[in-house]
Amino acid sequence: MGFDFDVIERSMPYLFREGMTFTVTLTLLAMTGGVIFGTLLAMMRLSALKPVSILAGAYVNLMRSIPLLLVIFWFFFLVPYIGAWITGSSQPIKIGAWMSAVITFTMFEAAYYCEIMRAGIQSIARGQVWSGYALGLNYWQTMAQIVLPQAFRNMLPVLLTQTIILFQDTSLVYVISATDFLGAAAKIANRDYRLVEMYSFVAVVYFIISYSLSLLVKHLQERIAIR
Amino acid sequence: MISLKNVSKWYGSFQVLNDCSTEVAKGEVVVVCGPSGSGKSTLIKCVNALEPFQKGEILVDGVAVGDPKTNLPKLRSRVGMVFQHFELFPHMTVTQNLTLGQVKALGRSETEAREKGLKLLERVGLLGHKDKYPGQLSGGQQQRVAIARALSMDPIAMLFDEPTSALDPEMINEVLDVMVELAREGMTMMVVTHEMGFARKVAHRVIFMDAGRIIEDAKKEEFFGTPRSERAQIFLSKILHH
Repeated sequence: MGFDFDVIERSMPYLFREGMTFTVTLTLLAMTGGVIFGTLLAMMRLSALKPVSILAGAYVNLMRSIPLLLVIFWFFFLVPYIGAWITGSSQPIKIGAWMSAVITFTMFEAAYYCEIMRAGIQSIARGQVWSGYALGLNYWQTMAQIVLPQAFRNMLPVLLTQTIILFQDTSLVYVISATDFLGAAAKIANRDYRLVEMYSFVAVVYFIISYSLSLLVKHLQERIAIR
Repeated sequence: MISLKNVSKWYGSFQVLNDCSTEVAKGEVVVVCGPSGSGKSTLIKCVNALEPFQKGEILVDGVAVGDPKTNLPKLRSRVGMVFQHFELFPHMTVTQNLTLGQVKALGRSETEAREKGLKLLERVGLLGHKDKYPGQLSGGQQQRVAIARALSMDPIAMLFDEPTSALDPEMINEVLDVMVELAREGMTMMVVTHEMGFARKVAHRVIFMDAGRIIEDAKKEEFFGTPRSERAQIFLSKILHH
């Protein structure tokens, strides 16, 4: 039994149309949600109000101390019950692998994006904040107009690097039988007994995408550093 | 206009301000000087509540700065401040720097804010740079934009925190010229600076601080004539030597 290129070619449309679409959509949604939620967490962590910063700190430390795989399981099996408890329904609510994955990754990645944004916010000189306040801006205006745009710009390469990790980590939805890129390949591999071909192909695709993105980040970093 | 009564401030157990009291009347120009670490920058930052203080009272146009009920953004929008390191917003153009506060804090329209901002930019001689970013300007130019930005808010008083100490020597005068002009127009000013030439030219009073205390608070003529404290005499002899 030689290496069968044909099975890859035949399964290509399915792999990309179903699998890669899932993977990319999940990555983009979790990135967007994660950055927004993470930025809020970062602002909370830096808050002068102790309870607020402790709460955010506890959340971030919790998420960063549990294996992602466990969080995925935990959400998938527990969220239906929590949802039922919140809505007061007697049956566990149906949430599905897709929604569960989106929520899990958003909440998990937010902890990591939070730490990046926190470093970004702290990198902005105190005088910039003073300057905003001195003009009569309030905390939210100073954050939105002055601190966050600069912090975001400074941290863009790191945020994108984290997103590349997120892109790879989404393959873990395999464990809740979601059909992401890896999941789709695994299904074909098992159906046609072409494990070597399929898993090799998946590895090559992940490598090409991740490596090109990291080159892009490097280029971006150099451009930002010039200014 | 600005009145400080027995203001004290601590960083942990270290006392930075010790029982400071003074007044700045409307239209008055008061220069605050003293060796580094004497608390003069901290004092001026207390006036618009950028730094909190633990004891005493500060009134700006009758409003108590230390009162938790005071609307600080509103109060600050009425007091202009110029910083040692300019603190223009590097991600915005000069024009955007000039309009941000007017639009967000004073609720002016973009058009109105722009018109006002550009008028003041022209006044500091930088209209040609309106579309540049702060990073493209020299230090002196940036500081003049910062002054225009503060003035665009139509402040009742201006605070200057060592406005020329981060500048190259040849740029100091272009900034001082703007400040002298402002003083002669009758702006109420509190200026932390080592520029004694500026103090001689336009100040009404000079405050000398050391180790968190106001040691001397005298009319300009008195201060430069015969400072009463030995500490101020030594300080003056050192910085007026050259």
